[in-house]
Amino acid sequence: MCSKSLFAAILLCFFGLLSCQEKHDLPFLGPKTLNATGDTVYHQIPPFRFLNQDSTWVTEKDMEGKIYVADFFFTTCPTICPKMKTQLLRIYERYAANDVVRILSHSIDPEFDQVSVLKNYANKLHIEAPRWNLLTGDKKAIYAIGQKSYMVAAQEDSNEVGGFVHSGAFILVDKNRHVRGIYDGTKEEDVNHLIEDMEKLLGNK
Amino acid sequence: MLALGLASCDSKEEILYQQYVVEGRVLYQTHCANCHQENGSGLKDLYPAISQPALWKSLNTDELTCLIKWGRKGTKGYMPGNTKLQALDIAEIQTFLREQWGPQKAIYSLDSTRFALKKCETTL
Ligand code: HEC
Repeated sequence: MCSKSLFAAILLCFFGLLSCQEKHDLPFLGPKTLNATGDTVYHQIPPFRFLNQDSTWVTEKDMEGKIYVADFFFTTCPTICPKMKTQLLRIYERYAANDVVRILSHSIDPEFDQVSVLKNYANKLHIEAPRWNLLTGDKKAIYAIGQKSYMVAAQEDSNEVGGFVHSGAFILVDKNRHVRGIYDGTKEEDVNHLIEDMEKLLGNK
Repeated sequence: MLALGLASCDSKEEILYQQYVVEGRVLYQTHCANCHQENGSGLKDLYPAISQPALWKSLNTDELTCLIKWGRKGTKGYMPGNTKLQALDIAEIQTFLREQWGPQKAIYSLDSTRFALKKCETTL
């Protein structure tokens, strides 16, 4: 009896250790190219410039040395956005003391979501820049970066509730602006995976 | 609660009540829980909590029917309307809400819903 459970415990430890040591490296997502010297060049988020809720410009330079989660939303969205925000809040609160982590939420209705609207939304959600930036700006630039760089759907569609079609994706970007994971931001389990992957990028795992 | 529900399952009204609650829950999850959350706790100051007993004591159910159907831009924010929801859907949602948080656990009838909807249409 006793020896059996001891054996089980040892087995458990063994497998536990194995799975810990096994290092699952995160993939590099998006199109890869070869440079002149034949090295693989990974897909990278290009330079950008958007205004946040404090009317401050946020650019790729602000993301230097940071890992970040990007998503697309709009303040009047009745469907999946509140769910996504609930999940992003988990991340925001978890990394409250970690200055390496950022969140970039891009509005896909920038004409309505002006800085003052975003400020009001941020206040009501009790969140602050620069840790969590709500971004607005040129609509074409936002849609382009969404579709081409973050590889998610974001566009106007009058048939959709709220007038836009967009995915509920969260995109994980590393310190070199490479996309390392895409998750369903409306599902708690998927966001658990995101958090695990963030831990890996932060070197905690 | 459950025992009570089972014990009185023989009555027709009770069965109808349970049916409304079950369907109302599904509708709530599709149309309301995004903002107010499954447990009614709301989301910070963005979407109000709707689970406090005090709210349900003061809430006018006819007004709530209009709110669900047509939405409102109020002091706590903007709640979009659900114009595609029919009277029966709203009756079921209301019955579910009452069952969860309301003082009176009773059916909110289809007739009451229709009556309330007429009133809000004329005031619009
Ligand atoms: C897009 C987010 C959103 C959705 C979806 C939503 N609501 Fe609301 N709800 C709000 C906001 C914002 C308010 C506050 C409106 C105001 O200030 O008058 C509110 C107010 C309420 C209130 C009154 C709360 C109070 O304190 O007076 C009730 C009850 C309510 N909603 C129920 C529902 C029900 C039932 C549904 C589903 C049919 C629903 N809501 C869907 C955002 C939402």
